[in-house]
Amino acid sequence: MKDLLKALPWIGPAVALIAAVVLFPVGLMFWNSTRDISQSGVDDGGVGLANFATVVGFQYFWPILGRTVIWVVVVVACTLLGSLALAALLNKAFPGRRLVRMAVIVPWAASVVMTTLVVHYGLEPYFGIINSFLVDIGLIDTPEGYGWTRHAGTAFAWAMAVAVFVSLPFTTYTILAGLQTVPGETVEAARIDGANGVRTYFSVVLPQLRGAISVAVLINIINVFNSLPILRVMTGSIPGYDADTVMTMIFKYMQNQRQIDLASALSVIAFLVVIGIVAIYVRAVRPLEEV
Amino acid sequence: MAQYKRFGGIMAITLAATTGLTACGFGGSGGGEEGGGATTLDLLVPAYSDATQGLWNDVIAGFEEENPDINVELQVESWDNLESVIATRIQGNDAPDIYNGGPFAGFAEDELLYPVEEVTSDETYADFQPTFLENAQVGDTTYGLPWIASSRALFVNDALLEEAGAEVPTTWDELLASAKQVSELGGGVSGYGMPLGSEEAQAEAAVWLWGGGGSFGDAEQITIDTPENLEGAEFIKKMIDEGATQADAGASDRSPLFDIFVQGKLGMQVGLPPSVGQIESDNPDLEYSIHPIPTKDGGPFTLGVADHLMAFQNDGDKQEAITAFFDYLYTADVYVPWVQAEGFLPTTLSGSEQLADDEALAPFLETLPDAQFYPSTNPDWAAADSAFKALFGQLDSNKSAKDVLAEIQAQVDAG
Repeated sequence: MKDLLKALPWIGPAVALIAAVVLFPVGLMFWNSTRDISQSGVDDGGVGLANFATVVGFQYFWPILGRTVIWVVVVVACTLLGSLALAALLNKAFPGRRLVRMAVIVPWAASVVMTTLVVHYGLEPYFGIINSFLVDIGLIDTPEGYGWTRHAGTAFAWAMAVAVFVSLPFTTYTILAGLQTVPGETVEAARIDGANGVRTYFSVVLPQLRGAISVAVLINIINVFNSLPILRVMTGSIPGYDADTVMTMIFKYMQNQRQIDLASALSVIAFLVVIGIVAIYVRAVRPLEEV
Repeated sequence: MAQYKRFGGIMAITLAATTGLTACGFGGSGGGEEGGGATTLDLLVPAYSDATQGLWNDVIAGFEEENPDINVELQVESWDNLESVIATRIQGNDAPDIYNGGPFAGFAEDELLYPVEEVTSDETYADFQPTFLENAQVGDTTYGLPWIASSRALFVNDALLEEAGAEVPTTWDELLASAKQVSELGGGVSGYGMPLGSEEAQAEAAVWLWGGGGSFGDAEQITIDTPENLEGAEFIKKMIDEGATQADAGASDRSPLFDIFVQGKLGMQVGLPPSVGQIESDNPDLEYSIHPIPTKDGGPFTLGVADHLMAFQNDGDKQEAITAFFDYLYTADVYVPWVQAEGFLPTTLSGSEQLADDEALAPFLETLPDAQFYPSTNPDWAAADSAFKALFGQLDSNKSAKDVLAEIQAQVDAG
């Protein structure tokens, strides 16, 4: 107790900050999810769990949840595979490596909304350059191009491609950092024992990357699950709920229907889902422990 | 010990700063700081164009010169954010004093607004067009000050119609025939621009559903799923299925689609008064003309839209300042240049008189007497509006028109 009091001046500011910017908003979100809030924002009293019943009872709720799972799994898996390949390449010495390493950072440094908008405009019929290109090489036979972002399936697929693109830099650098901690002796020993390149990579290098990969995956799962801007831009003009994930649905409750109470309820569900996934992941993979 | 004191001090400062931050974000001050006898009016407005902020700054500068004891604080938001900003501020007890927006009935129902007659002089109140005042009432009380109006008309690309040998349509059947003729020109040209995307699906819905004799209901009840409305919805489907419209009508937003019209790739599209200015600045060579919107039987009709100013009561101590502001704002010399610069129509009698001989606005001012309005005084209208935005585009899919209307009705009824 005395130790705690002694420590308080040092940890106090951090605790206060966490309470103000993390715990307070989370508490408010839980509180709002049990209230009946009018469209103009007036609190009309508590309704218990009715908001949760409405949200889960919505006829598109389960498809949306399923789509969210697909979104997270596909984006994180593709990001991981791409990053492993990129990191292996960037770990080799070759002329101009410094420039290539810097180029990989660009999607990270650019605003996600801007990157997505660039692709979105490229996909527009009539004037988008991706559409013009596909028309010019004869892959599309309508002269104005194809409405990629006007159909749920293609818009969702393009959104995934953009999500992978913007997730690559962080993941690549995490794995690259991991690669540089792999002792040269272990690789050399494998070679002396006669293992070929593939065997060396999968049996010697990859196991030593476990720590880096598991941290990268954990952070990516949270980021991708919570990603709104890419889907918002790519699928925003599609009617109905056939291209929505939990995050865009929260946004639709809040922005379109102005039902802050329902949006809070769905946020709470999303929050619990993320906590659940992370808890399972941390128990199973133990990313924060040394191998 | 000295170290402890220093760290204690830092901690105190950090604590004070963070709690201060939360206070700003959440509690708010509710406005109404009376610094040295001056009243501060808090103004929250949407950006109609890039010029909006400058126009308001001019108005405020002029007003503050005449009323040195009143300060006006301006906050400009994009239309996309506006409604969540106002909801967040109301929830945080930090409502603006004057707000420029679309629907007002929800705020009136929550008893947040001043009745208009309490915050305008008799002269200002009497100067509003009666039809617009009627459209701004909940029950018998006016809660919204009609601010700017617009009506719709059919923009026709004369060059394309001539090339296709098509006539300017006045009825749905003629529209279908002419649009198909233009679509057959090929080369990426489409006959009719049909924007059913989320941006403003409710407007295109009104153009068709009301043009066939339907309506969205009245102040008491929102009725979407009716036989009259079904007729319009089914004709939209027919237009899409027979190739009279651009591809992917269900996910096409209005503004980007109108850009395509301006580029000369669309035969016809329904446009607004500001569309005239857009064509003038972006493609002045476009050969176009403006006509009444075709309806099922060719009868006259247009969709009128009025945005409103609202005065929030907050602590109830700024009534006089708000009245002074509105009386200044609606003087023809202040009001008309504002409306004109944004390319909209005025809602006051004196304003209409001043604009009577403006040629560009003439086709729209002519249709104004036949204007029908959204049932925006119905508190459920906001729900209907968002249901149209989210769901009406599904007409461009395998879903039947009946199912789409039923789904919209269901979302409205669920509130």
